[in-house]
Amino acid sequence: MLASEEFSQVQETLWTDTLENGLKLQFVVKPDYHKTYAMFTTDFGAIDNSFRLEGEEEYTTVPAGTAHFLEHKLFDKADYDAFDLFGKTGASSNAFTSATQTSYLFSASDHIAENVAILLDFVQDPYFTDATVEKEKGIIGQEIQMYRDDPNWRLYSGILGNLYPQHPLHIDVAGSVASIATITPDILRRVHRGFYQPANMTLTVVGNFDRDEIYNLVQHNQEKKAGTKLPQLERGVQPDYDANSILPYRATRLPISRAKGIVGVKGLQEIPDSFSGLKTVFALRLFLEMIFGDSGQTYLDLYNRGVIDDSFFSEFNAGRGFNYMTLGCDSANPAQLTEELIAVLTAYKDSPDFNEARFNELKHAASGKFYSSLNSLESIANQLASQSFKSVAAFAIPDVINAVTFADVQTAAAALVNSDALSVFHLLAEEEAE
Amino acid sequence: MRIKIDEGIHLNVVPSKQFKTTSISFQFMEPLRREAVGARTLLTSLLETSSADYPEANLLAAKLEDMYGASFGIGVSRAGRVHRVGANIRVLADSYTDRPLLPEALNFMRAVLLRPKLTDGQFDAETFTRERDNLHTYLDSMTDDRGTQASLGLQRAYFDDAAQALPSFGTAADLEQITQAEMLSVYERMINSNPIEIIVLGDVDPDACVDLVRMMGLKPRPELDTGVVYDQEVHGGVRVLQESANVQQSKLNLAYHVASDEFGPRYYANAVASELFGGSPLSLLFRNVREKNSMAYYASSSLNLNRHLMMVQTGIDAANKQRVEELIAEQLAAVAAGRFDDGQFADVKAGMISDRRAALDSPQYLSDTALTAALFPESGLTPAAELEHINAVTRADVEEAAAHMQLQAVYFLKGEAK
Repeated sequence: MLASEEFSQVQETLWTDTLENGLKLQFVVKPDYHKTYAMFTTDFGAIDNSFRLEGEEEYTTVPAGTAHFLEHKLFDKADYDAFDLFGKTGASSNAFTSATQTSYLFSASDHIAENVAILLDFVQDPYFTDATVEKEKGIIGQEIQMYRDDPNWRLYSGILGNLYPQHPLHIDVAGSVASIATITPDILRRVHRGFYQPANMTLTVVGNFDRDEIYNLVQHNQEKKAGTKLPQLERGVQPDYDANSILPYRATRLPISRAKGIVGVKGLQEIPDSFSGLKTVFALRLFLEMIFGDSGQTYLDLYNRGVIDDSFFSEFNAGRGFNYMTLGCDSANPAQLTEELIAVLTAYKDSPDFNEARFNELKHAASGKFYSSLNSLESIANQLASQSFKSVAAFAIPDVINAVTFADVQTAAAALVNSDALSVFHLLAEEEAE
Repeated sequence: MRIKIDEGIHLNVVPSKQFKTTSISFQFMEPLRREAVGARTLLTSLLETSSADYPEANLLAAKLEDMYGASFGIGVSRAGRVHRVGANIRVLADSYTDRPLLPEALNFMRAVLLRPKLTDGQFDAETFTRERDNLHTYLDSMTDDRGTQASLGLQRAYFDDAAQALPSFGTAADLEQITQAEMLSVYERMINSNPIEIIVLGDVDPDACVDLVRMMGLKPRPELDTGVVYDQEVHGGVRVLQESANVQQSKLNLAYHVASDEFGPRYYANAVASELFGGSPLSLLFRNVREKNSMAYYASSSLNLNRHLMMVQTGIDAANKQRVEELIAEQLAAVAAGRFDDGQFADVKAGMISDRRAALDSPQYLSDTALTAALFPESGLTPAAELEHINAVTRADVEEAAAHMQLQAVYFLKGEAK
């Protein structure tokens, strides 16, 4: 039975249930809206390149890019393509793979029940042949090349490579042309069997739809598929909070006119999946806003001296088994840039921007930005889905932000900012040909 | 509803309780002029950075944070023959705040637009130099993004008129010439003479919006007297522009002339034809260039009817260039010859109708449609009217539209990395 929870701060109601087979459902009904956005997510991403199924002795390691390849291939069936099935109802569909999750989605203004059934069926009923797997290698090969030509993406993957050289986070989500060449239908079938079990998945539906109708449909759809007992899954990927493996510096040259620099800080402690853990995540995001946000003295000084420009960014990410901070910018002199950023970061206690008054202003702004982000159904669904394997729902984030104190920020920053955990990556212009 | 505030100043209010925010947009419009675009782009940087009331960038940012983390920005864009400076701010709706933010947001807009930071009648010299240099560097490095390089290259190949051929934000070279005196005259023209469309979307009272806008004290000015649509005459032959770079993926982009009316039957026939040709995963380009022949990750078309132009963009292997060009030509010929089945045609239309219904959930779409309706007052454009027009398009209309699309320019960025 669906149970509802009111989140008065965001003025939203979340309906949830976990079916007998373990599939978790999250529904948000928005009668003012015209469309419905549904997302079927598995807790399986690019870092899950090793696993063992019940009864197996050894872990299987799959080629880099397998999760993403599988995402592409699930759309293809024996005699149809899932894009076309959605298309017949006027719905549009898509999918994406991150380091830890894979999501399939559709958006439609009509025929919601029909589309939900298509979504469940195409993701849960795989069909792979040698020919269709081979054909996909050309398409994904082009996708890989496109990303390899993208300077911002290269900068980001460069710093992940420095922070996690011994963890699959350093591998590109799409893999490489060489790694995907070794993917076979059999590999895809095994991975699907292991990671696409209902208990490892969430269905999130947000928009203008009939809650009971969709709930009954999903229940019947899943009951039909019950039968064979699914094997227990053990993930092979291990958490990485190790400072010793960090590569302190690397650089790559690309045909670009503007160089870039990025600083990474590897989290050396696990952040627990709890209200207090999520508080730490938001404390660290507020910390970055305090020290490097554009309303601060530091930002103004760096900007006015030409060390940074509008391309400056900073963020803190926490995922299954890892967390890290990154900050960087385009720069004519990336060495000076990263040196100055590190100097500010490591001396944050002396920063004119690190005080309780500024903390309170930024906290107030952070809640406001979160409310604004709930304007779109896509954003609501994405945030709910990405929190769905955790203990705190996305709608509770204003409570989390509210609960963060300046003391929390001080504690979290002291734990994270550590000179052993730092790394730098530069993206430089190619040298002029002779 | 469109309300005349004064000569040359109109307020478009789109009341809606659907969203958690109120969006406000000021659009300053003038005929597109080659020599003005660089200066107008730099002007947006200056206005966005500081003002008399917020003399440093961090104070301006702090004011936005104080308004519950409001988002704000100023930028330029081109709609056919019209060049726009758009200033946008988005604040939370009253039910999420302890005070109404709409009056505060309009006060803020007045401060940044009408009270720039001037010293002795000039923009602050240090800010001027720094923002000019930053923008110069940025424009110089835009082609580091190869997709941008290809799309700018294609426009350069297609258009004869430099104002159309060059980016709407100008070039780095434009900035080298700009003087303080010129900057000030560009600003004064914008603030005192450019026709203005203001769009407010959210849970607002139109009368209150009228009062708030009047309080800004904008001076009356002439109405916009330029048509929006730009249509370059069709020429024989195909213009080819090729560049190369040490990158892995090559980009092949094509530009077609499109004959159209303004939001009439031909307009929507073109929209459906382009969608069927390359606008979605149901399209012929996606099915045949990507899925069947495995030649590309993306191969799609997009339509700009303000400029009577359709563009195709692909990312491919350099060795496949000729084959991909043939495949693209075959797909357009297939649309023109009616080689698509009824189901596919119906699906594409259903998809467009569904997309437009879904867009009613986007403040951006609703705001853009209000602006377009203001620029084309004769068109009777509304989101509902669009649905009817698309529904009415027949197979014959689409074949006819595709038959009139003429290839005019090809841009190829050859990837030379090993």
